[in-house]
Amino acid sequence: MKKGFIRNIKPLEILTEEQIQAIHSNTLRVLESTGIRFESPRILEFFKKNDCNVDFEKNIVKFPPYIVEDSIRKCPSSFTMKARNPKNTLVIGGNRHYFSDMPGNWTIDLDSWKARPATKQENKEAVIVLDALENFDIFCAYTPYFEVDGIPPEMSIPESYAAKIRNSTKVSWEGSQKECEIFIIEMAKATGQDVMGVGLPSAPLTYYEDACDSLSRYIKADFPVNIACGVMMGGTSPASIAGSLVSFNAEVMGGIILAQLTRPGAKIVVEDSVLPMDMKTGHPVFGDITTALHITAFAQLYRKYEIPTFADSGWTNSKKIDFQDGYERAMTALLVALSGVNVNNLYGGIYGELEYHPVQSILDDDIAGMIGRYIEGIDVNHDTIASDLIEITGPIPGSFLATSHTRKYFRKERFFPKSADTMTYPEWINLDKKDCIVLAQDRIKQIIENHIPEPLPDDQEKEIEKILAKARKRYGSI
Amino acid sequence: MEDETKYLNDLKAVVLNFDIDNAESVAKKVILSGADPILAASMLTEAIREVGDAFGKGDLFLPDLVCASEVLKKAFPVINEAIEKNGKEQVSLGKIVIGTVFGDIHSIGKGMVATLLYAAGFKVIDLGINVKSEDFLKSVKEEKADVLAMSALLTTTAMEQKKVIEGLKEAGIRDKIKVIVGGSPINQEFSDSIGADGYGATAPEGVKVVKRLLGIGE
Repeated sequence: MKKGFIRNIKPLEILTEEQIQAIHSNTLRVLESTGIRFESPRILEFFKKNDCNVDFEKNIVKFPPYIVEDSIRKCPSSFTMKARNPKNTLVIGGNRHYFSDMPGNWTIDLDSWKARPATKQENKEAVIVLDALENFDIFCAYTPYFEVDGIPPEMSIPESYAAKIRNSTKVSWEGSQKECEIFIIEMAKATGQDVMGVGLPSAPLTYYEDACDSLSRYIKADFPVNIACGVMMGGTSPASIAGSLVSFNAEVMGGIILAQLTRPGAKIVVEDSVLPMDMKTGHPVFGDITTALHITAFAQLYRKYEIPTFADSGWTNSKKIDFQDGYERAMTALLVALSGVNVNNLYGGIYGELEYHPVQSILDDDIAGMIGRYIEGIDVNHDTIASDLIEITGPIPGSFLATSHTRKYFRKERFFPKSADTMTYPEWINLDKKDCIVLAQDRIKQIIENHIPEPLPDDQEKEIEKILAKARKRYGSI
Repeated sequence: MEDETKYLNDLKAVVLNFDIDNAESVAKKVILSGADPILAASMLTEAIREVGDAFGKGDLFLPDLVCASEVLKKAFPVINEAIEKNGKEQVSLGKIVIGTVFGDIHSIGKGMVATLLYAAGFKVIDLGINVKSEDFLKSVKEEKADVLAMSALLTTTAMEQKKVIEGLKEAGIRDKIKVIVGGSPINQEFSDSIGADGYGATAPEGVKVVKRLLGIGE
């Protein structure tokens, strides 16, 4: 099992009990009186059979509170995601904190900062880098690159998942489009691992048929589902954070109820992907501190529900790997971790979902390590308190440097970044003034030259190729 | 003989395991076993050289280096005593007097250089911190040192290095000794301006500078 980080500090709590109750009871109100729109006759029938109030003309399902609360209770508070190598199996939930990546449609040139489609080789290398990075635990859907040169759009998710399976033993959660989840589920089963699916609501308060189908297929296969809700505050939700929490929560509950009525005890995670809308352009604003506030409240609410959580942190409005990119992602990622979210989507993505670059993922591995070290907290016991040592050492000229206690603890207590500039000034001058971006590029070269991912057994490789061939035929891309 | 080899290996291990607590007792066992104390000394030198090399490569850290050095401080007196009893003397690449200048109590950088010089095979006389100019001069004369190494970590104490060099000139022994300087406010320009023979930005560089000044190859 992959350890990730264990949060040994109290999570941030910014809402009072009454405020949490207000968000929950107003969620129930929305679900009971406004309801959720489901664009699927099959799903409407399903809810009708399960005692929900269905308006077949408007495609609206209204949920009695007892069904909502019953569904919340049925969600497991944690579950295991089996990897093809057991050392990378995850247990999602509780006080465990894992790191994931963020998608980018294209790659970027590190000199001109222009975006362009990634090649298959670049996609493969980006996966290999993530396989090698020790603080990276689970691949996010649509990553690393959403669009890969030479791969037709319908095949992007199956080909992307196959590249991850072939070049890493870490688990994935995968997206859905045009029923491609059928092939994703087959590939996971063929390689003896769990895959997390999606059931994506469309804000406000709507599920289209493909989202319901994807959710149902994964749940029936006994795989976990991520109900990831992307919302733009002021556009697809109220502009107020509290209002946005209520509408977001009602949307998510629609999926949770569908999952728990389909298969009681279905494994669910909920992901907060809420962004404010830029009221000059209508674009989403990435890296905004409002997002972190929303996530902290969301995490507090879902701890109450005992449902595992994901949140996006690797979002920046910068188009480059620069200071803004660094502070926006680091601040959000730290707050996500402090909020007690279980999976922190941080690595690799730049400027929303437009760009991805492995150099960014290398830098994010250091951010993850720093944050992970922080949330693991302080070990307080007789040996770490060290009052005997303090007594023996005494005032100056006493020094703690040449003591076994220092040797024992200095490594344990610190996190050592791998691509940060930690040089002294003269060393830095001698090494051509390398900064963290250049050091990250050096690390990528080392990884690509030396890291060999555990290959797929031949029979599984054949199965994957067979499944891909079926998918290509289905989407007419042969 | 088998026992001797075992004890000699134990002696090396005590350095490589940074085992300060057992250093002295293991050294005593080695001598009691009848092992050649010169061989025991070279075992310690070999071990500290390995530690020094690993530190230079970045595989080991400062606490490792200084703890290994502490092991040596405990083990060496025992071995040295046996060597002297046999009327022999250890061979070294040269004699170095080292210390942090007057007014300055920073010991870490100086300690690193001292350990790495020792690991490289030099005899090192460490005068410690807050060393007065006259004490440097006295030690250099008494020990007939080949190199004087001075550390200063403060801009206010850096000029103290110049004072010691002036003292060497006044005593008429400036041409008999090489002087190296180091510390974070020091750079090559400063080193040149006060008439030092060499400067190293890092501890491993300091060792290279000493070897270069004494004409010792890598």
